[in-house]
Amino acid sequence: MNKPAKRLISLKINGMEYEMAVRPNRTLLEVLREDLMLTGTKEGCDDGSCGSCTVLLDGSPVRSCLLLAVEAENREVTTIEGLAEDEKLHPIQQAFVDHGAIQCGYCSPGMILTAKALLDENPEPSEQDILHAISGNLCRCTGYNKIVTAIKAAGRNGKEGD
Amino acid sequence: MRLPHFDLRQPSTVEEALSLMEEFRGSALALAGGTDLIPLMRYRLEVPSTLVSLQKVDCLKGISLQDGRVFIGAMTPLADLVSSSIISDNFPALLQAARAVGAPPILNLATVGGNICQNSRCLYYNQSRTWRLERPACFKAGGNVCHAVPKGNKCFSVYSGDLAPALVALDAVAAVEKRGRSRSVSIEELFSGNGLHPIALGKEELVTGVAILLPEKSSNSSYMKMRARPSIDYPLVSAAACATRGGNGKIEKIRLVLGAVGPSPVVVGDVGRFFEGKTLDEVDFDALSEIIGKGARMVDNLTFPGSYRKAMLSVIAEKAVRAALRPGAGKEKQ
Repeated sequence: MNKPAKRLISLKINGMEYEMAVRPNRTLLEVLREDLMLTGTKEGCDDGSCGSCTVLLDGSPVRSCLLLAVEAENREVTTIEGLAEDEKLHPIQQAFVDHGAIQCGYCSPGMILTAKALLDENPEPSEQDILHAISGNLCRCTGYNKIVTAIKAAGRNGKEGD
Repeated sequence: MRLPHFDLRQPSTVEEALSLMEEFRGSALALAGGTDLIPLMRYRLEVPSTLVSLQKVDCLKGISLQDGRVFIGAMTPLADLVSSSIISDNFPALLQAARAVGAPPILNLATVGGNICQNSRCLYYNQSRTWRLERPACFKAGGNVCHAVPKGNKCFSVYSGDLAPALVALDAVAAVEKRGRSRSVSIEELFSGNGLHPIALGKEELVTGVAILLPEKSSNSSYMKMRARPSIDYPLVSAAACATRGGNGKIEKIRLVLGAVGPSPVVVGDVGRFFEGKTLDEVDFDALSEIIGKGARMVDNLTFPGSYRKAMLSVIAEKAVRAALRPGAGKEKQ
């Protein structure tokens, strides 16, 4: 079919409002990476399997490759760029660095945002809670152990609040 | 791959949504959570000219209990099912089925109506357009060949929803609406049995919700699913069981439903003789396993061979039945 008209939408991303014109077929992932240059959100499988495009929508982790950008209007979107304050890493990011939970780094944005959603709801999760929470985020490098250790440490230190 | 272009409509009421489905009859698809439809569109397996998004129809979201009946709106996210005490207290099978769909980020987007109304799947159909262009079009893609069953004369695609088998076991009823008319259909009757068009809905119709009667106190239910990767995979086989015990602890009735065995959930008929009036220890599961899946033709069209899936069917079914007959099954946190 012919290209439908662009729509003027307002997206709230990392506390900032962006007014932009997008066609309905564009996903939130595409708009984040290509229009807003927020390339911390990664494109992996593009069909909802891998979790590398995970962002927080009103605080809950979702796949941005499965969500139309126009459907994210009036929702609070948090990407990995929204976590650090100036040069200071978010405590979960710092824990990932401290515990060697990052290798190639491709899964890290999605993994850290999923961990943030978990720790915001439950600051002291059990290992089982952590494994369940990150079960939708694939990591091909670390074997997950160091990621679990980092999330535990971030929660234990009570540093996750922001 | 980019999504194809389409016109997006975002109604805020059911009436508006039904009018749009009527106006664009045949060329519009309803968009719920998108976890199934968006990948299908990316693969060009669905190329609707219009999508009617139900995301802003707030009255389709929520779980309520009224007059001994639980009503679940079609746009209720699966994450809300998982966290609902109404569901966990009364319908363990539905809770387990919702959990089994996938990891939390999937459950946050996926909806009850979307999960029920998903299309059937096949290893030779759910592939990229480039992959499919290397072969003649199969029945489901509009051609006249089946790649899973050479010389097969029909589509063998498999319905892979998790909620539907549980809802069939629980005798749930779907509210189906089109403009100016609504009807109630048992979840079982929502399926056509035809792999080409597995959901028996008119093009202008929408499932707006699901109603389930509260179970008897002595009832219990369970859902079991076999898959390779719990966080993302569709079932290779699944089974849901709903059982009622009498005051003497003996089994009064049982309903056993199989999933991922064909284009619709399958109610195992004539199971009463194996269970009724018996205790769990007296049940002859070997004899039961012989009739389970009888007639179901499970072919090599999912990631595991059909022969293996068929062999596992009775194992999964037995587990579901045993769990449903264990006091308090499914009510514990998993």
